[in-house]
Amino acid sequence: MRRFLAYSMPVLLLFAWLPQVLTRDLVTFLFFTFIFMVLAANYDLLGGFLRYMNLGQGAFFGLAAYIFALLLQHFPVFFLRLHPLGLPVAVVAAVVATAVFAFLLAYPLFRLRGAYFAVVTFGLVLVLQQAVLRTPALTGGSLGVTLPPQFYVDVQQAYYPGLALAFLAVLLNFAVSRSRLGLALHTIRDSEPTASAIGVDPFRCKRLALVLAAIPSAMAGCLFALFLGHLYVETVFGMEKTLLPVIMALVGGSGHFLGPVVGGLVVQGIDLGLRYGAFPVPALAIFGLMLMATGLFLPGGLLSVLHPRGRTAR
Amino acid sequence: MQIFLDILVGGLTLGGIYALIAFTLSLALATTHVLNVAHGSVIVLGAALATLLLGFWHVNPAVAVLIFLVAFLVLGFLFEGGLVRPILHKPPEAILMASIVTTFGLALALETLLGFYWARLVHPEPSFSLTFRVPAIILPGDLILPTRRLVILAFAVVAIAFFHLFLKHTRLGKEARALSQDYEGALVVGVNPRAVSMAIFTLGIAVTALCGAFFVLTVPLNPYDGIRLTLVAMIIVVLGGVGSLPGVLAAGLLLGVAEVCTGFFLGPAWAPVVFLGLLFLMLLLRPAGLLGERQ
Repeated sequence: MRRFLAYSMPVLLLFAWLPQVLTRDLVTFLFFTFIFMVLAANYDLLGGFLRYMNLGQGAFFGLAAYIFALLLQHFPVFFLRLHPLGLPVAVVAAVVATAVFAFLLAYPLFRLRGAYFAVVTFGLVLVLQQAVLRTPALTGGSLGVTLPPQFYVDVQQAYYPGLALAFLAVLLNFAVSRSRLGLALHTIRDSEPTASAIGVDPFRCKRLALVLAAIPSAMAGCLFALFLGHLYVETVFGMEKTLLPVIMALVGGSGHFLGPVVGGLVVQGIDLGLRYGAFPVPALAIFGLMLMATGLFLPGGLLSVLHPRGRTAR
Repeated sequence: MQIFLDILVGGLTLGGIYALIAFTLSLALATTHVLNVAHGSVIVLGAALATLLLGFWHVNPAVAVLIFLVAFLVLGFLFEGGLVRPILHKPPEAILMASIVTTFGLALALETLLGFYWARLVHPEPSFSLTFRVPAIILPGDLILPTRRLVILAFAVVAIAFFHLFLKHTRLGKEARALSQDYEGALVVGVNPRAVSMAIFTLGIAVTALCGAFFVLTVPLNPYDGIRLTLVAMIIVVLGGVGSLPGVLAAGLLLGVAEVCTGFFLGPAWAPVVFLGLLFLMLLLRPAGLLGERQ
């Protein structure tokens, strides 16, 4: 743990210094990268440690963003009175609600495994999209939700919480990988009967992992809502919020706490390059091809190039 | 009465197509442990090629069918050689995970490229649909029989019967069933999994693409529907039980009727909600699937 903190300090300082020298566009780009890294790291809690592909990570993100925005929209006076405690109260409410959602979701979801789990979690995002679109009275439907302008934050203000969240999400993965929970998850991944036999309760571990994976994503959702000021279904429940993190984790190296960081930077970097280079190829197609190549040639992700026998396989 | 008849025929038609789509997915999953996430994208691709050939280029239908079949047999052949064969030597769990990753990538690439280039080269708003005219049949009591849907239903029935005969009476079909029942046992008695996987994927992808062409006779598709269709197929597979043809048929029909009823009473966009509701209910009540046993 101490080594982890020692190594991460210079990186954190570097990222903390970058907004001083970069253009506003690039700072926004880094902020988005942090948000994606949080989602990718959270995805990897289940995807890497447990080999359960949760394609619905975006559901937690979007749900928290919506709960948060709706709270602020419907009770702006209440949260403004509480100022400066107003925002934290709303964030905590949204994150707790999302965590409870994840907790309850564990019951039907963990009856599934492997491929079925992946596909059903993906369906979850579609269901939440519809739930929002079809209840315009509560959620604004396709018109979206607007936050009261008092709460807007600038990218310069959102950048540091974003960086902190990304750091915390990676730290969470690191801490889990060095904890009893991490060992239990690895045992369950390798053989569930063995895990049960040595006294690990597989369902409780999986449930805990799902709830842990929901919390930083939910916080990222709140931050994202503050930054955008206006939420649409496509921006918070869109395909990219739920698929890109998976691609980042897998391309970077699933199962290693640095995988989501590497993957996040690479995928976002390519996205940026394509946007500025104006290539006549959509970015998602490139990511799709990268994913194919990863599955076929580099099952351990980019990190396994650096670490041929590294920790990805543990 | 007319409404009842429409819902019934509509539900059975959609259900038949769903059952077929789910069955080709399930067959590949049971025999080779490959989960093809790009399955839905193949349906969309089939719809796109059919629309291009018949709707835009007005190719002679017989020639179009020929081009279509050749194109998708080749695609199936390439898919098997490029994505399935390299991972087939791994243990089943690893095949499953690796295939999800690669085919998920393929699905993304296919959908995005299709949407992007269709919008650039063919039509700015990509949407695939076909129309054809068949005389309506009027039953006694002034009921109009939706003939167009019956054509689709007939296709689904023929294709399902074809698969049934293939699995029961051909050597490759029997080998496929052997592999799905006991993979290692089948290897010991000399089944060649490569030949079976080649046959399953070339046939499966061609039939799946045909499903797409028939699907858009009633409901238009857009390039990004692929993953949603994979989701529907997977739900049916889970509901019906992997590798069970009767189970998948029953679950497919159930979901088809459920979707048409949902569309009629609540609005078509609610369909995924109802599907997942049914699935969660089933998982809580009968985790083993409707019929047959799960892996």
